[in-house]
Amino acid sequence: MAGLELLSDQGYRVDGRRAGELRKIQARMGVFAQADGSAYIEQGNTKALAVVYGPHEIRGSRARALPDRALVNCQYSSATFSTGERKRRPHGDRKSCEMGLQLRQTFEAAILTQLHPRSQIDIYVQVLQADGGTYAACVNAATLAVLDAGIPMRDFVCACSAGFVDGTALADLSHVEEAAGGPQLALALLPASGQIALLEMDARLHEDHLEQVLEAAARAARDVHTLLDRVVRQHVKEASILLGD
Amino acid sequence: MLQKREKVLLLRTFQGRTLRIVREHYLRPSVPCNSPLCPQPAACRNDGKLLSSDVTHYMIPDWKIVQDYLEILEFPELKGIIFMQTACQAVQHQRGRRQYNKLRNLLKDARHDCVLFANEFQQSCYLPRERGESMEKWQSRSIYSAAVWYYHHCQDRMPIVMVTEDEETIQQYGSDTEGVFVVSFKDYLDNFWPDLKAAHELCESILQSRRERENESQESHGKEYAEHLPLEVLEAGIKSGRYIQGILNVNKHRAQTEAFVRLQGASSKDSDLISDILIHGMKARNRSIHGDVVVVELLPKNEWKGRTTALGESDSDDKASGEAPSEPMPTGRVVGILQKNWRDYVVTFPSKEEVQSQGKNAQKILVTPWDYRIPKIRISTQQAEALQDFRVVVRIDSWESTSMYPNGHFVRVLGRIGDLEGEIATILVENSISVAPFSEAQMCEMPVNTPENPWKVSSEEERERKDLRRTHLVFSIDPRGCEDVDDALSVRALDNGSLELGVHIADVTHFVAPHSYIDIEARTRATTYYLADRRYDMLPSILSADVCSLLGGVDRYAVSVMWELDKTSYEIKKVWYGRTIIQSAYKLFYEAAQELLDGNVHVVDDIPEFRDLDEKSRQAKLDELVWAIGKLTDIARHVRAKRDRCGALELEGVEVRVQLDEKKNIHDLIPKQPLEVHETVAECMILANHWVARKIWESFPHQALLRRHPPPHQEFFSELRECAKAKGFFIDTRSNKTLADSLDNANDPNDPIVNKLLRSMATQAMSNALYFSTGSYAEEEFHHYGLALDKYTHFTSPIRRYSDIIVHRLLMAAISKDKKMESKENLFSNKDLEELCRHINNRNRAAQRSQKQSTELFQCMYFKDKDPETEERCISDGVIYSIRTNGVLVFIPR
Repeated sequence: MAGLELLSDQGYRVDGRRAGELRKIQARMGVFAQADGSAYIEQGNTKALAVVYGPHEIRGSRARALPDRALVNCQYSSATFSTGERKRRPHGDRKSCEMGLQLRQTFEAAILTQLHPRSQIDIYVQVLQADGGTYAACVNAATLAVLDAGIPMRDFVCACSAGFVDGTALADLSHVEEAAGGPQLALALLPASGQIALLEMDARLHEDHLEQVLEAAARAARDVHTLLDRVVRQHVKEASILLGD
Repeated sequence: MLQKREKVLLLRTFQGRTLRIVREHYLRPSVPCNSPLCPQPAACRNDGKLLSSDVTHYMIPDWKIVQDYLEILEFPELKGIIFMQTACQAVQHQRGRRQYNKLRNLLKDARHDCVLFANEFQQSCYLPRERGESMEKWQSRSIYSAAVWYYHHCQDRMPIVMVTEDEETIQQYGSDTEGVFVVSFKDYLDNFWPDLKAAHELCESILQSRRERENESQESHGKEYAEHLPLEVLEAGIKSGRYIQGILNVNKHRAQTEAFVRLQGASSKDSDLISDILIHGMKARNRSIHGDVVVVELLPKNEWKGRTTALGESDSDDKASGEAPSEPMPTGRVVGILQKNWRDYVVTFPSKEEVQSQGKNAQKILVTPWDYRIPKIRISTQQAEALQDFRVVVRIDSWESTSMYPNGHFVRVLGRIGDLEGEIATILVENSISVAPFSEAQMCEMPVNTPENPWKVSSEEERERKDLRRTHLVFSIDPRGCEDVDDALSVRALDNGSLELGVHIADVTHFVAPHSYIDIEARTRATTYYLADRRYDMLPSILSADVCSLLGGVDRYAVSVMWELDKTSYEIKKVWYGRTIIQSAYKLFYEAAQELLDGNVHVVDDIPEFRDLDEKSRQAKLDELVWAIGKLTDIARHVRAKRDRCGALELEGVEVRVQLDEKKNIHDLIPKQPLEVHETVAECMILANHWVARKIWESFPHQALLRRHPPPHQEFFSELRECAKAKGFFIDTRSNKTLADSLDNANDPNDPIVNKLLRSMATQAMSNALYFSTGSYAEEEFHHYGLALDKYTHFTSPIRRYSDIIVHRLLMAAISKDKKMESKENLFSNKDLEELCRHINNRNRAAQRSQKQSTELFQCMYFKDKDPETEERCISDGVIYSIRTNGVLVFIPR
């Protein structure tokens, strides 16, 4: 088989999307009763679950407490069955540590931590199925979970990935597109202000193209925001009906 | 709104386990159908190429047809072809990149009436593959259902013919839907194109060669060649350094035994091999053909062989190579082919006796390619006898390890051997030049210039452009009878005492919009092909010989470069680039200009512009012109001297021009005469090119198209050095400066031929100048060795070179960038530009080769029926400059 054509001359990607189109996003908030906040999201075939506890007192060593703001603690894990080949992923391996750190950076930028000094907010994210864009799915799930927990944030954090193939920027890469080995950029955006919470790329990309890819990722992140916003409003409406007012 | 579906794939992993993968598959309500009959063009968003509306039916080839008969589908006569995405993907997966790219190019080609329909992404066309259904079945089913949908989509107004080879499909769907017919390819051709003989022949020959191949694979007898290694092994081997990757070059003189592999890419960096690798014999060459990208394994040192210095083929092949091997060089054998370079080959059939002696199987015939670097090709045909004296195009299909020769099939007849038209067609095919006349769609984009409706300068452009019509004396100097005048010159004294030199180039880009049909056509042609007796234009003649051509006495658009020079030292003080309107006052030819320069005023009578003037104004005008030419020559000399100080080379090459009389008979062969005016014009052009190169590089450091001339390999000079030593001269080849100096010194007062010979040998040692994109090379590699300039490009002949058109666009973008205007969307990115450069370089090489071959053809025809004993023109003096074991190389100075 001669290498896969990621973008056909007619402008279709392998799965039939066009360059700027997102995969199908479905999300639900409040999936667990005992957590303070929880959410489940599907971005295409990537599925992630996020749970938030807090803000609560510092667990473990008191020395970690910060005098002026809350401590954000993020943990990432992925299920053994999340990828094509079954593989045991021990807790705390390099990949999940890195992902945890990135999530933490992202949410420290978004949550108004100074409102809860000397306390802790825990965010746990688990990926159930990985089909490209795991970081983005995790961030989006965690945003919904934090909102569900009622923790004040500056804004939604919406994340999306983007790649670059044959002079065109592709939004929201799937696993096939990621595996092809081109550059991939992950962006977490605060859509209202347009501020960037996290930007990460570890492949080589020519400077001239960066703007184009960044633009594609930002536009995709804004699209994600519209969808998440709709989910939140729907959830609030349902919740208020249940509460009876 | 997109609909999400899921596709389940079962893949086999490297360990041999089966892996279940779920992939998403998105469907949309509308994909472009590209049909003019579309009822909702807004929903379908049909942009780009549409099917033409004057066809009687649409033809949908099934996956098998696209794979096997693509060559026939390429016929421009076949119209209204819809390729289904399913079929295209089948080609991509089963036939590899080469065939797929062919298909892609076909789809992109505006001249060809075919479109792609993305049926798998269309909501109502997509059919998921059912459990247990074979791939082939599913593909046929998908294509058929898409065909039906398409029929209804066009509101049943256009019958659709689905063509397939599969009997079962015809049975199953044949009469399923009214208006959608399912027929076999043979029937299709018979019913719809009974007159298209070429297609029938090709179809026949493809069928036959396929049958042969099937038979052959069954009776696999003794192997002639070693099997090629699988791709993964090759790639791993290249990475680890065990194998070496390179391009196979077959030695012209010893095509049977010797071939060299020029190293390529990463492998040449880390290995300590500098020279090429010798591949000795057909066995070691292992079915690779000239131009293939091959992977080579080096043989142990004790098996290394030397290159044979003997010329030509002697009967005792082995003895010849045994007796005079020069120093042993790295020798290897081919273990795999990464990229095949198969193209169409022109062949001749063997004579009748030989056919009989081949015996055994009379249907298979070994034909001899025109290019003797290509091995004989085995084809099967019944027409062998009829095609005895013809040149014929064949295509190679396969080369099994069990067969001595590759299998091919017959494509078409070019012409009789020895017939001029046939031979010219041969040259064109061998250089992959295709020159169909310009299509209607392309001509529609052209401006009109007829006596009733003359082309005029528009007032809009008049405002935008600098008007030089009244202020500047502009004239052009070209060969006699030249139609495509793309450059003109001007020089004048400014009020502040400085001089102003102007080079004005035809503004082709004004007429050729980027990505228009004509632009795409020009890009494929890349250059005008000049053969000895004719030329194939890159642009239609309305542009090349009329509206763009800077003819005398008419207003024309131009792109100008103007320098302000110091009056005495000719130092450049200022430079201006921009679009202008000019009116060339004189269209001179070289000989006349030279006479004027030498002060022979009597040529005035030859210049039409002077004819109708009275004596007095004539004298004044003449003085003005003579002054301008004189000044130009002076400036050119000065610029040239400056370049010489940096080490520019003056190279010698004998060019022969063929003079034909009216009936196209060859009249005489004349070597070209150099004049000083030639040099003056050339120098001005070099200056313009250089300054434009600087400008576009400054504005677009990563995506400017420049031209570089890499320094030659030192080992190529060894013959030159030795030859000079024999005459007692020393040639220092370390840099272009030293080479130029020592060539100047190597002058034997008694024998002027010596210097000429040495110069022509130096020319032979040079590598070719190449176009490139500045983003892909380091700045020090931009250097032009021959001209001794740090940056150079081609700007001055946009009528006959596509590279110049690109440079014009870059220059215009650079100017508007200076004015803070954005017009970037028309420029190529570095990657595209690099790709384009490769294409232009290839085409240029083909153009040069075809020009040389056609001149040689005429030389041969000229000498063919002359008796060397009686005709004194056939006798000439020559100098022997190199002696080989069984021959000599002769230089004929005439």
